[in-house]
Amino acid sequence: MKFKVWLGVVAGVLPAALVAIVLFLAVYSWPAIHFNGPGFVVRDVWNLGNLYANPVTVHGVQIQPGASYGILFLIVGTLLSTLIALLLAVPVGVGAAIFLAEAVPDHLRMWISFFVELLMAIPSVVFGLWGYVVVIPFLSRHLFPFLALTIGRVIPFFAGPTGSGYGLLTAGVVLALMIVPIIAATLRDALVNQPASMREAALALGATRFEAMWRVTLPGARKTLIGATFLALGRALGETMAVLMVSGNALNYLPRNVYDPISTMAAFIVSQLDSALQDPTGLAVRSLAEIALVLSIISIIVNAAARLILVVWGNVQRSMAV
Amino acid sequence: MPEPRRAEVSGAGGSAAGQHAAESGLDLKPSGRVHVPSSLEDGLPTGASVGNAFVDDPVFSCRDVSVFYGDKEAVRSVTLDIGQRQVLAAIGPSGCGKSTFLRCLNRMNDTIPGARVTGTITLDGQDVYDRRRDVAQLRARIGMVFQRPNPFPKSIYENVAYGPRIHKLTRSRADLDELVCTSLQRAGLWSEVKDRLNTLATGLSGGQQQRLCIARSLAVQPEVILMDEPCSALDPIATAHIEDLIDELRASLAIVIVTHSMQQAARVSERTAYFHMGRLIEIGDTDDVFTNPQHRLTEDYITGRFG
Repeated sequence: MKFKVWLGVVAGVLPAALVAIVLFLAVYSWPAIHFNGPGFVVRDVWNLGNLYANPVTVHGVQIQPGASYGILFLIVGTLLSTLIALLLAVPVGVGAAIFLAEAVPDHLRMWISFFVELLMAIPSVVFGLWGYVVVIPFLSRHLFPFLALTIGRVIPFFAGPTGSGYGLLTAGVVLALMIVPIIAATLRDALVNQPASMREAALALGATRFEAMWRVTLPGARKTLIGATFLALGRALGETMAVLMVSGNALNYLPRNVYDPISTMAAFIVSQLDSALQDPTGLAVRSLAEIALVLSIISIIVNAAARLILVVWGNVQRSMAV
Repeated sequence: MPEPRRAEVSGAGGSAAGQHAAESGLDLKPSGRVHVPSSLEDGLPTGASVGNAFVDDPVFSCRDVSVFYGDKEAVRSVTLDIGQRQVLAAIGPSGCGKSTFLRCLNRMNDTIPGARVTGTITLDGQDVYDRRRDVAQLRARIGMVFQRPNPFPKSIYENVAYGPRIHKLTRSRADLDELVCTSLQRAGLWSEVKDRLNTLATGLSGGQQQRLCIARSLAVQPEVILMDEPCSALDPIATAHIEDLIDELRASLAIVIVTHSMQQAARVSERTAYFHMGRLIEIGDTDDVFTNPQHRLTEDYITGRFG
């Protein structure tokens, strides 16, 4: 009995922590929520106001004169960089998983998989520094001008100017590299564990190894692929340090093309905390907390959606089978 | 006592001891006493079997075929022919190599790491193990049905259409519909599924799934179908369905069926091959093998003394 109680306490701590964090953010940022209103997510100006003037009271909240908080540019930057990362990472991750599952002999697979998974263990600041030193010079000198002249002719969002190299596409590339191992490792396990009988059936019908993989084994693992993609999406949404170092850290700016500097919600909280602390009314920090609240809610919705999709799909398949 | 006809081909590994055993009197007619084989010693030189291993105008010709998994020899020096439009049953106790042998014929053993096949197998006179051969094309000419029904988790239609699609056998959707329909008809499944072609195949009963797998093979228009214990997971009624189906299919193609059930072998096949510990012991017309077995091991197996 005592044991059960203790287990209950231990198991209860984690959901409680989630609720406590969200509640804390909501309570702490309440004055900001009250002052900013729903326009918080559609305004694209973040302005601390005149920090040398005396605070004034607006709607019952003390603010510095001229203060205005809007995070549309952060939401746009976060969603676009995540989208680019997923567009790059899903095909590469699927390709890597197929390669690991199909083309690599068993004894080598363990080692190669090990190195793929080690990529997940690298601290994100290392990715950031590597992006800063290696990726940015390469992309800005070689790839971006090329992209602007080729894809840019067709899709205006890819047209120049190609800028400094700090920006949306760079952030997407670095993020993609960080989430490829998540997709590759998860999907590889699912592919290897697919029932051999399906693969045998396809091969016996005269399918090549690729046809068997592409039309039988991979579709069998599509639930895992979707789950892994959402896992990667969650990671990309919340990634802070690497993005901060390569995104150009734009303020109050909506990207006009794929090379433009951006900032994301997570990176912005870090980069603005110091200046926000200069606000004597404290409203700037509370507004940062409101960003954190928005980010948490988006992440929770993404994860919940992932689970919902899996559950609904699972039920659809089961009911069709009856 | 008739002298058994031995296969002409003798394997390279034919040992002096084996030859000696063969000459010093095979106990071909059973003495009636209970004999439980305790060793590989079957009294035959390597590569030889009793009965008639050959037919005129064979689909498959196997000469001295051995299969190794690493160092282990799973099939040793098998020589036999498989005739056109004929059902050959492979029987024998578990682990006797009959399934392994079956999987050599369409090179499914290639997918097993460490598996190695020696000897020659020809399909219509062409070497199956030729290095230049396109294995996928080869397998398309040879259908295969497995022990457990293994339809893809797709619709019934898509299961049958899979082969024609990957081999681009049809030009139009109407042709494909036609091919799916005739394949299902040949497999005796059409009347049961024609109203629900777009439902998941995994929702069918086990016997229907197995007939779907046969339809899926037929859609690629193979010359031979290999069946690896196709009824071992099915109930008696589903088994009877499959056996009727085999009887109809023998008019148009050759079938090699591995089975644990001697009754099944007797019912469906024209020729029977008895395998024992990786070796082909006896092969001949099914009636002869079951009513007048020439080798002691065959006799012991079919009379139920072991197996």
